[in-house]
Amino acid sequence: MAQGPSAEHARLIRKLQTIAVVTAEEQDALAELPMRLRVFAASADLLREDQPSTECCLILEGLACRYKVLGAGQRQILSLHLPGDIPDLMSLHLQTMDHGLASLGRGRAAYIPHGAVRELCDRHPQLAATLWRDTLIDASIGREWLAGVGRRTAHERIAHLICEALVRSRALGLMDEGAFELPMTQAELGDATGLSTVHVNRVLQDLRREELITWRGRSILVLDWERLRLAADFDAGYLHLLRDADTVALLRPRLRTSLAD
Amino acid sequence: MVSRLTANLQLYGALPADEQKAVDSLVVSTRATAAGEDLVVEGDTASHCRVLLEGQAFRHKTLPDGRRQIMSFHIPGDLCDLQGLFLGMDHNVTMLSAGEIALVPHAKLAEVMETHPRIARALWSTSLVEAAVFREWMVGMGRRSAYARIAHLFCEMVVRMRAAGLAHHNRYSFPITQQHLSDALGLSAVHTNRTLQALRGEGLLSFQGGELVIMDWPGLTAAGEFDAGYLHQAGKAA
Repeated sequence: MAQGPSAEHARLIRKLQTIAVVTAEEQDALAELPMRLRVFAASADLLREDQPSTECCLILEGLACRYKVLGAGQRQILSLHLPGDIPDLMSLHLQTMDHGLASLGRGRAAYIPHGAVRELCDRHPQLAATLWRDTLIDASIGREWLAGVGRRTAHERIAHLICEALVRSRALGLMDEGAFELPMTQAELGDATGLSTVHVNRVLQDLRREELITWRGRSILVLDWERLRLAADFDAGYLHLLRDADTVALLRPRLRTSLAD
Repeated sequence: MVSRLTANLQLYGALPADEQKAVDSLVVSTRATAAGEDLVVEGDTASHCRVLLEGQAFRHKTLPDGRRQIMSFHIPGDLCDLQGLFLGMDHNVTMLSAGEIALVPHAKLAEVMETHPRIARALWSTSLVEAAVFREWMVGMGRRSAYARIAHLFCEMVVRMRAAGLAHHNRYSFPITQQHLSDALGLSAVHTNRTLQALRGEGLLSFQGGELVIMDWPGLTAAGEFDAGYLHQAGKAA
């Protein structure tokens, strides 16, 4: 047991530590989960809608999204998933997927058999509670996005998505000198916010002109967090992150207050 | 008779008699609630969950500038705040009509879940289905027309009320007002009103004395592009 978890298992442990305390014993148990690794291209299907599944999909690198396609071929992106997330944890209990899971940029995923996760939950009830908690936070993020498409302006929606991606990336230790990866095209940003590509483009130009953000390739750099947060009407409370010292220290005072709620 | 909560949990798989009894033992007290009463307020950290026994409720969030978004409607048998078991409440739950709720202490819930993993799975499933409903509404607001959104919501309420045994010959108790519909679907009051008139004009549904009457179910599901898959009612009796 001396060598500790693999890099893949460490991703999962790190993610769970952003939302709950994970004991040493639980970390050891997580480190023994069997994983089938897969490299994926950009815009690859990781899971199809209506597909019965026997495994959970853990994102290791890159960005993935849940989505639904309507009869007319229009796509709605429902959530974003970062390294360490298990977007289809629901498939443990619900028989079929009611949406698809696709990659946005290139990356890697690990598939974990349902049986192994169930056994883990049976032996470690506190870990089961942590996974349940993760699905509740997932629902909370869903509500926030719902309020966004229902009530927020285009400007607020895009700024909000960037704030959320930043806070989640930061908690997972995925920031690099104030910048984080967001490998989404403008069309994909539109699918996530219910906006046209033209509209997304205009808002992004506005945000850059106002010196709130800038970007190079797929990397986004936030220039003025406080103003971006205000522009988005963003309050990180709905992410229910643990107040990990690292995360809090990196945040601006206003966000620190809202995280402390 | 199977209790409301048991009936709800059995939508995700049958429970044997002793587990049904264990679910029934969760309820320690009940109380009447008034229309408009807040059951849960943002920021609450409660020591018990509330189960709706009679009447309907809605889940909502108010943005700092006062814009309100309704995120789901709830019927008898629904748990209003299971989330409180693990997280603080980040939104509100308010009664639409007068009714009755049951109180389930968290400690009792934890005890029953420990002895009955199947009940824990059923409870977890209810919270997963709730998340699926939020996603479906998001698709509606992001991509569906006002007409399809309203028809879709009626279909969802009807399917859930039928599964809960709350249908009376195609009549459904319906305390949701036009204002609630607007706040749920991201529409203006005028747009909601016009769309309701269209659905009525086409003979799909009508309202009589606070009840929704479904007159053309296939027509309504077609109008709403409705597929009940996201409700995951696997254990529902046909």
